[in-house]
Amino acid sequence: MKNFWKSGDPFVWLTGGAIALSLIMILGLLGLIVVNGLRQFWPPQIVELHLQNGETVLGEIWEREEILALDGQGSGHRIRLKIGNRDLYPLDFRWIDESEIVAKRYPENVLVLERLEWGNFYGRFNTLKQGNTILANSLGTGQEALADALAEMALLRTRIRELEKDEIGSINYDLEKLRLEARKLLLTSDTTSVAVQRSLTEKRKKMTVLQRQYLEKEKALSALYTKSREMVLTATSADGREKAIKIFDIVRLTTPNALDVVARSRVFLSRVAEFVSAEPRESNTEGGVFPAIFGTVILVLIMSVAVAPLGVLAAVYLHEYAKQGLVVSAIRIAVNNLAGVPSIVYGVFGLGFFVYAIGGTLDQLFYAEALPTPTLGTGGILWASLTLALLTVPVVIVATEEGLAAVPREIREGSLALAATQFETLWRVVIPSALPGILTGLILAIARAAGEVAPLMITGVVKLAPSMPFDGRFPFLHLERKFMHLGVHIYDVGFQSPNVEAAIPMVYSTTLLLILIVILLNVVAISVRNRLRKKLAYSVF
Amino acid sequence: MSKRNFLAETVNRLMLACSLLFLLAPAIAPAQQKPVVDSKIAVYQKVSGISGSLNSIGSDTMNNLMTYWGEAFAKYYPNIQLQVEGKGSSTAPPALIAGTAQFGPMSRKMKATEVDGFEKAFGYKPTALRTSLDALAVYVNKDNPVSGLSLLQVDAIFAKTRSGGYEKDIKAWGELGLGGDWANKPISLYGRNSASGTYGYFKKHALFKGDYKDTVKEQPGSASVVQGVAKDRYGIGYSGIGYITSGVRAVPLSKKADGELATASMENVMKGKYPLARFLYLYINKEPGKPLSPLVREFLRFVFSKEGQEIVVKDGYLPLPFKVVQEELARLEGTN
Repeated sequence: MKNFWKSGDPFVWLTGGAIALSLIMILGLLGLIVVNGLRQFWPPQIVELHLQNGETVLGEIWEREEILALDGQGSGHRIRLKIGNRDLYPLDFRWIDESEIVAKRYPENVLVLERLEWGNFYGRFNTLKQGNTILANSLGTGQEALADALAEMALLRTRIRELEKDEIGSINYDLEKLRLEARKLLLTSDTTSVAVQRSLTEKRKKMTVLQRQYLEKEKALSALYTKSREMVLTATSADGREKAIKIFDIVRLTTPNALDVVARSRVFLSRVAEFVSAEPRESNTEGGVFPAIFGTVILVLIMSVAVAPLGVLAAVYLHEYAKQGLVVSAIRIAVNNLAGVPSIVYGVFGLGFFVYAIGGTLDQLFYAEALPTPTLGTGGILWASLTLALLTVPVVIVATEEGLAAVPREIREGSLALAATQFETLWRVVIPSALPGILTGLILAIARAAGEVAPLMITGVVKLAPSMPFDGRFPFLHLERKFMHLGVHIYDVGFQSPNVEAAIPMVYSTTLLLILIVILLNVVAISVRNRLRKKLAYSVF
Repeated sequence: MSKRNFLAETVNRLMLACSLLFLLAPAIAPAQQKPVVDSKIAVYQKVSGISGSLNSIGSDTMNNLMTYWGEAFAKYYPNIQLQVEGKGSSTAPPALIAGTAQFGPMSRKMKATEVDGFEKAFGYKPTALRTSLDALAVYVNKDNPVSGLSLLQVDAIFAKTRSGGYEKDIKAWGELGLGGDWANKPISLYGRNSASGTYGYFKKHALFKGDYKDTVKEQPGSASVVQGVAKDRYGIGYSGIGYITSGVRAVPLSKKADGELATASMENVMKGKYPLARFLYLYINKEPGKPLSPLVREFLRFVFSKEGQEIVVKDGYLPLPFKVVQEELARLEGTN
């Protein structure tokens, strides 16, 4: 026994156990997120239940639990069924006692319609009509007509989107710009001068041209919308009610019970693709999260651009130029403590300092023509990025200082002995050797920033942003715009969405995506660091 | 409340609870239907020559609703953008006063000081439009057999002050007449955080302005209150009726101790039988004697149209009755 303690084995076991526990917890959490996040994309079997009271219900089985009677004893089981058809039933889900079920079947002709509005529809094919002509009145004979109709309407959806977002969107953007320019002229210059008058008339003329263009586009758009109403699928729900659904509103039509594994996988992949690339629907509980992914990545990039120079310069001064003493030690302690300040405090600071003080002042100086509507004096991606930069600057400072301290004294002295000035030594010798350390700091900063939510909620993230912070219109990067963010999306969908039951799987998928993005950002940063390390290994030593 | 009355009520409850033991299934099945928009409310008619952008700043309860309305409105006028910011009802009055928003959605009425602030800036009062109805529901787990609660009991469950005057603190389900396994199980309380308008409304109307117990688990959103109660067999919580899920049940409520119990259905809300119903308001800046700007007018006409009220239903709130729609439309069109 004594030998056992002396051998040092217990300590190995203790440390090994600690790492094993951490690994188990991390893998467990990841496993939970991956399983729950991916499960919602897999098309499940649709079950048809005949109940004792003569009712028939159709839906997906989501969970099964034991019923506890009043005395706390188990008395049978019940299942939670997603019955969808939000436009017909009050709720998306329903609990059904297993004892009530008379028969359980998996009919092959059940359709699942994923719709633009009102969520999923579960039911049976009735007729496919174009106007008043019937194209098909059974699923068997109507397969082709249905597929054609769906493809045509998908094209129409893309076309309408283009027209609305890109074409009409740019006309509006130009119109708004002209309107503001005209207002600025009126506000700032002498309106009696001939030049100003001419410029104003010119702007008005341009605006009329744009207005006319807009009216044409609008006409085209309403023609497209008329077309979108042409094709209608009537389907029957489980309780026998008939529902007419525009083909235009159907995002995806599947007959899950008739599909084999290959076909199912295809549906799975197309759903995953939709999640990553499409825009959200139904107040964020359905559709994709593309704007949120985009917002998160742009946010982190702008933050990195802001935090790297600031943090590195501060660390260089502290470590290289400042006279080491009480003051510098105090500053160092203060910086370390800053890393422990709750992030919401940074958020409040960002709101007060960046948004109201700086943004408000800039608005009065440069965007007076748009007032009282604030341009920079309200939350936006720039202010959110700068707030995150402040939040992560201590991390970069500490890591950079450590990187600088690790540069051997001999190298500095060698450089100085060869008559290099202090700046030259820093710039050519010390900083390049410390670069891996600096990048480590940046990686940590990115990891922290990408997962941060609290300060963003008050500095510019919104539930649904009408336009993205980066697009094809000059000046391309619109720093004043509000944006969407994955972390806030998780919070919003999980805690604030109505119909939270149907939205919960979305929370898992979004979490999974956020983790993947953080990993991706880190991998990129780490590979850059490793390449630099290799390069430095040749050039410096 | 007299002692005999209380006794009768308890016996009544016990019998109900026993009968529910055998009839658990009907309690689980969703009893209510989707509310229907009054067919007399007119369909929205598109007009031409509308453009520009709209800003809405205010209630977080109405955040979804405003977003839905904005999206649907943009279908008629693709050149219109509505930016919605929902950080709480209290942010609406300052935004209206500063002119940064045309719409101030609020889940409560403006306070006198807020109205005064507006009047000081413009010389007239802001206009409050009733856009929809919300019923605040008290939720219990779907397995909970409790048949109904009076507001006094709700007060005794949630508040430590018991300003409603119920004779004793209610801590366990047994004190509400539940038997079996429930009798000595403590009631687990869920509620909103103090920044929420729902917290304030519940405090004022259900707790008679009393204070919440310290054991209330404060949640960051209405949906998480409902999720909490759905997972906790012995839980109880409050949230808007729009947040109901299959895991919870909205308890019928009565105003008086022995009053008639009413479910949070549209009919009961309309007749004033359900004690915790409120209007959701949209505040605007309308100068008396002058018409509204066409853009604002059209948006509001859309809100009070059949399509606008259907969106209310879709978001889980209750649509307006025809009479209220008529009144509000008259106020829009009128120049007084």
